[in-house]
Amino acid sequence: MTVEVCGMAGDGTIAAGGLINEAMSLGGFSVLGFDSYPAEIRGFGRCVTRSRIGSEEIVALADRTQVLISLDDEQSISRVPFLVDNGGVIFDNNPSGYREETKSLAAKLEPGISLFGMPLGDLATGASGTVRGRNLTALGAFTAIFGVPPDLFRKAISDKFTSKGKAVLEANLKSFNAGLRYAEEKFKDRATPVFDVRNKLGSGKRVMLSGNQAIAKAALDAGLKLYFGYPITPATPIMEYLAKQLPQRGGRVMQMEDEISSIGAVLGSYYAGARAMTATSGPGFALMTELITHGVMAEIPAVILNAQRGGPSTGLPTKTEQSDLHAAVFGGPGDSGRIVIAPTNVEECYAMTVKSFQLAEKYQTPVIVLTDFYLDNRVENLASPAASSEEKADWNMYPHDSTRGKYWRYASTESGISPRALPGTEGFIYTATGLEHTERGTPDYSPENHMMMSAKRYRKIMGALADLPSPVEFSSGRELEVGVIGWGSTFGSVLEAVNTAAERGLRVGALKITSIFPFHADVIRSFMNRCGHVLIPELNYSGQLANLIGHLHNKDVIRLNMVTGVPFSPSTILFEIENLVGAGT
Amino acid sequence: MNPEHCVIIGNGPAANEAALTLRGESRDLRITVIGQEPVRHYKAYLLPEYVSGKLAEDDLYVNPPADHRERDIKLRLGQKVETVSFDTREIILDHKEVVRFDSLIVAVGGIPRIPERLQVFSDLFLALKTLADARIWKQKLKDAETILMVGGDLTSLSFTKALLAMGKRVIFMINEDSFWPLRFDDEIRSQVTERLTAKGVEVLNRRTIKGLAGISENEVEIETDAEKLSVNAVGAFFGLVPNVKFLARSGLHIDRGILVDDYLRTRFAGVYAAGDCAQVYHPELRDYWVSIGYKNAWNLGKIAALNLIGGKIRAQAVAQSIFRVGGIAVNTSWWTEF
Repeated sequence: MTVEVCGMAGDGTIAAGGLINEAMSLGGFSVLGFDSYPAEIRGFGRCVTRSRIGSEEIVALADRTQVLISLDDEQSISRVPFLVDNGGVIFDNNPSGYREETKSLAAKLEPGISLFGMPLGDLATGASGTVRGRNLTALGAFTAIFGVPPDLFRKAISDKFTSKGKAVLEANLKSFNAGLRYAEEKFKDRATPVFDVRNKLGSGKRVMLSGNQAIAKAALDAGLKLYFGYPITPATPIMEYLAKQLPQRGGRVMQMEDEISSIGAVLGSYYAGARAMTATSGPGFALMTELITHGVMAEIPAVILNAQRGGPSTGLPTKTEQSDLHAAVFGGPGDSGRIVIAPTNVEECYAMTVKSFQLAEKYQTPVIVLTDFYLDNRVENLASPAASSEEKADWNMYPHDSTRGKYWRYASTESGISPRALPGTEGFIYTATGLEHTERGTPDYSPENHMMMSAKRYRKIMGALADLPSPVEFSSGRELEVGVIGWGSTFGSVLEAVNTAAERGLRVGALKITSIFPFHADVIRSFMNRCGHVLIPELNYSGQLANLIGHLHNKDVIRLNMVTGVPFSPSTILFEIENLVGAGT
Repeated sequence: MNPEHCVIIGNGPAANEAALTLRGESRDLRITVIGQEPVRHYKAYLLPEYVSGKLAEDDLYVNPPADHRERDIKLRLGQKVETVSFDTREIILDHKEVVRFDSLIVAVGGIPRIPERLQVFSDLFLALKTLADARIWKQKLKDAETILMVGGDLTSLSFTKALLAMGKRVIFMINEDSFWPLRFDDEIRSQVTERLTAKGVEVLNRRTIKGLAGISENEVEIETDAEKLSVNAVGAFFGLVPNVKFLARSGLHIDRGILVDDYLRTRFAGVYAAGDCAQVYHPELRDYWVSIGYKNAWNLGKIAALNLIGGKIRAQAVAQSIFRVGGIAVNTSWWTEF
């Protein structure tokens, strides 16, 4: 079941969606939620939350919605095309004024949709003294109509509002109960045509985390000491989370004057031996570029989270896109190879952020974690993640004591990794510079030296493949009619589409790539060459992953590119798979 | 320029035939059908067979789900009309929406009638007018063995037939209120009693209900002037009354239904009524008649639509099906089918 809440900013839309996610998670369901909201300040524009709830693991948002909860009819009209033919709509049937047919939600609905009209505002006002609780009243109705145990919502409401005081909590509970009672009575004889959740309750405790929360929690668990950042959508929640939590663990968060100083401070901290990170989005990442390459050249660890959004430039701040892959892999002057990884779900946001600190230290280089608006803001409930002691360990390769006094900071080793001494270590003094340098750190622009040091740095980066997750294949392993390669938040939709296609009897497979650079060319090539067609769906215009790995295939890969600002729907990918199979027969 | 907007209130045979006829005659007209029930047009006369399990729900529906959309007819279901203003040509829906119209056909049908003296017991009666009623009956009959039928309209007879087919025990109580606006005379009563008894129904004639009591979810006690009964459910089938209460202050002339001339025109230009809710003037009888039954409603819907777009067709009662009762002529198919 997918439930949407739609209203104007300020209607409590996001809060209502969050409570649905929490309540259903408490009920043991798998939940994937995603909000979209306007770029402008509070009080303007449409907010929509989408919650997909299931008794099996949810990997993507669904194309269609079973239930729409409208807190603003005029805004909700835009959501009508997404309703399934036999969906349900909960709406306020006693708004403050009369509305014309052109602005009426009910006027736009197809005949199979069940309407559950109720005086949301009146009920909330009657119960709690304020109309502000009408979002809770609507949730009460949702609970009654679709048979969700009310205590799940009461617990979720308590968890959310207890910290705001008894009066606020009680007002919200009263509004919820008013909607519940009204709907129980008014709609008791209405057979609901939508998915019945009443018998789907499972067990098992899960925590609800957004991608951003998982990243911040992972950073804390990985032993982050210093966070530097400048606010930008959609990365800001990471700084907000850490600002509350990091000081309690002895760390510090500092809001810098811009992104350049943020990455500068991260490099400085790591240079001095303290784990540090920053998080930004495309425009901020562009500002960081020069200093990231400084980290590459001077071989200084850094963890940089790039939460992609619609671009270029300021672009589409609250819309999702995967169009910074080129910038992450290639951005900046010179041959500045760096490690780029991209989680595909919230669980991987946690795991890969932990991993990024390990990689940064071990390979002494900036590590870029690529997420996107959809992944950062979507919530999933998962078993509480934790980092192992091995993952949290100090991965820096320190110089052997025997090299004291004759230390070459950038020694050209077989692996390309040079032992790194922290500044102030007696007998291990060196120069760290963005200029090309010798193995000892002395500036040197000779052709031989630049060739050697470039090769050393690339040897090191390519060697990181040993520690980078290999692509994961989801298929029967046979020869495939279509193989679909996905990365980032798009992969969930890829997997659902491939699973559906397989259920329909097609020979298809999915390949998940999380290591963007360096990438596991052999594994990818092997997969590609077993496929009649290779399809790469991406939320960018130019096919940036396809540009990166397309040459591995013995014929052209098929690109499926969208820049609509919304996540890929599984059905779009499925449609393309079926087209390709049809074209091949 | 916006196309002319014709609104049809109702979603039964008259309303739907009116909509299809209008679309068939005019491509340009904007047509909206507003129905209070949340389900698309179905054959209500088949509900007894649906309750008995002989038919599935899908068998009841008249048109495929996408039929109206494909014909560019906007179908709005589960939406209730609160009032109509003929001065401003506005319909107000109960969720405070204003729908403007240029022309209007009212085809809202009827609602089950409970005689005034029995209205105090109405919570204990089950009707069979809508699909929602039928669903309740289906649920009820899982545990019910003995059913009391009070009234005597067309539905009660076909439903009795369905109950007998299900192996239920049926007690049938007939009195003078049994089929509004008919009043059963001795001849009709005796005909009906004879047919019912022959089928195995226990008929109670000329009883007056004194009291009803719900003992449990599955037991109702009935006290008449002659006996006490205990049954599992009570069905009330006293005919239908036009569902026109919402038009009481609209300025339309209403008696037992909306008064229309033999072209189905109301007193307001461009406003028609058809089906069970209309009371039609018959120039030869010099009186009004009401229509009962699916086929008659369908026919009146078609006539209203054709006249709305400029036709001149008279709605005429079918001679052999007219019964004059208490000054009212009733046009109906009869119960000989039982």
